[in-house]
Amino acid sequence: MKRNIFLLIAIMPLLLCSCKGEKKMVKFNELYQQEPSVIYVAPLNDLSARHAVRESADSVYNASLNIASRQLYLTASDPLTNLGYYVLGPLASAQLAATEHRTGKQLRNDNINDLYTNLGIDAVLFIDLLSWSNTNNSWSASVEYVLRSTHNGSEMFHVHVNATKMLPTDYKGNPKPLKADIDFAEQYGCDLETAQRCRMVETLNKYVLKDIPSGKRARHQQAEQYSKPHPEYFNLRIRRDGSVEMLKDSEL
Amino acid sequence: MKNEETNTGNYKPKRRQKPNVGFLTVILCFLTTIFLAGCSGRFVGTPRAAMLDYQTNSTYGSLYSLALANAQSLNDAVKADTLHPGMYAEYGVALALMGHDGEACRMLNAEAKAFPESRLMVRRIKERLLPGMVSDTLVGSRDTADILRLQSWAYDSISALRPLPWVAAVIDSTDTVRIMQQTPVDSIEYPIRLTANQKREMLVQEQHKAELQRKAVADSIAAAKQAKIDARKQAKLDKKKAKKEKEKARKAAEKEKKRIAKEKAKQREAEKQRRSEERKNNKQQKEANG
Repeated sequence: MKRNIFLLIAIMPLLLCSCKGEKKMVKFNELYQQEPSVIYVAPLNDLSARHAVRESADSVYNASLNIASRQLYLTASDPLTNLGYYVLGPLASAQLAATEHRTGKQLRNDNINDLYTNLGIDAVLFIDLLSWSNTNNSWSASVEYVLRSTHNGSEMFHVHVNATKMLPTDYKGNPKPLKADIDFAEQYGCDLETAQRCRMVETLNKYVLKDIPSGKRARHQQAEQYSKPHPEYFNLRIRRDGSVEMLKDSEL
Repeated sequence: MKNEETNTGNYKPKRRQKPNVGFLTVILCFLTTIFLAGCSGRFVGTPRAAMLDYQTNSTYGSLYSLALANAQSLNDAVKADTLHPGMYAEYGVALALMGHDGEACRMLNAEAKAFPESRLMVRRIKERLLPGMVSDTLVGSRDTADILRLQSWAYDSISALRPLPWVAAVIDSTDTVRIMQQTPVDSIEYPIRLTANQKREMLVQEQHKAELQRKAVADSIAAAKQAKIDARKQAKLDKKKAKKEKEKARKAAEKEKKRIAKEKAKQREAEKQRRSEERKNNKQQKEANG
């Protein structure tokens, strides 16, 4: 009897800890109910400021940001595809976007039920690139992701992330690029800074969008309903070795 | 030392060492592996890299690379049975943008067939890019043959500017097509070469375009000059003609004047004669009367 009581006392905190926090099942209730299968990635809404071009370095910096923002849009469809959703590729999506007469803001706020009736799209993913910033040894990007249903216009997923990439340095503090960055730069034919930014946004997309519950085709859809989702606002730190860490504001 | 050893009789001639065959074999195998790994580099980079390149520089060359990258990845995916949504559509749209409407339509139809949820989107894309083929539902087979066809198209359109000497498509015994490089290059270096080739190709195209524009401008300037010269010649001719006509008219008028003057002189003479005869007659009458 005593042993059972001890066991219960030992298990209780574990049970309580496991119950703490909202589950995906609750947070993405609407998404689980609607079960979208086709997601359309709307063109990137780039709200970040660029340098006023006064010298050649400014235009190089701006070009680097432009490429990175394009990469942010191009790599958004892959994580969703891996989750079991039907997502058109960027080239085909651009053709669809060209037929759309509404602006990004209107798409975000207005009734988009016609996208379901005319094109069979269940949900639209909006990506807002809010800002870029540089500090001594780190680069940051602030991005907002919104997944909106075309059936009733509700927001099924909304995340605001501030991603920071810590630039790898040697023991003297000089920048020392990772091999993966060098490979990326060679493959894409861009400079190292651009490669590092591109890889940062790619990691950001992967990390944020994999939190969306899997589509109905995925086998593990039932199991992941009980896992813990990401908070609505969070900071993401990409460490020097490339690993990713989620931080609260107080931990920064 | 050697002499000392000979002198002392302790010297033993060194045995000739046999070459270490095993070690050489290992090195040879290693080098061969590296060489083969270098040869197996893909023809193009990933579709994502090609897409980024196309978005940065929207030229025919980058579009061609994008189409080829999509074709390659589609081919690989179908072979490995890992077809993702949108692969046919991406390839189809790239083909449509290149102007190969029939093949593009078949690819888009294949997308709609493989993923029925995309039917309406594919229809919209066809309405935009292939308005005359919306009702065409013929489905294309993916296939390596498309890559070959794509290459021949590329040869048709680009070969006038620059041939692609570093690519060869080979059909092996199992009817699969392999895109091979004629000169083996390191797999890391290869994408750089590709981008360099793309850049060169774009440069050549731009130069060609600029040359055409220059020619067109020069032609128009020459045509304008010629027109000016012709107009001047015509004006001169007209002037000469007018002058001649004027001269002719003046001469005719002078002739007429002379003729009139002659007639008047004749009339005057006739009048004079008539008057003198009258006077004579009058005189004779007066004399006869008087």
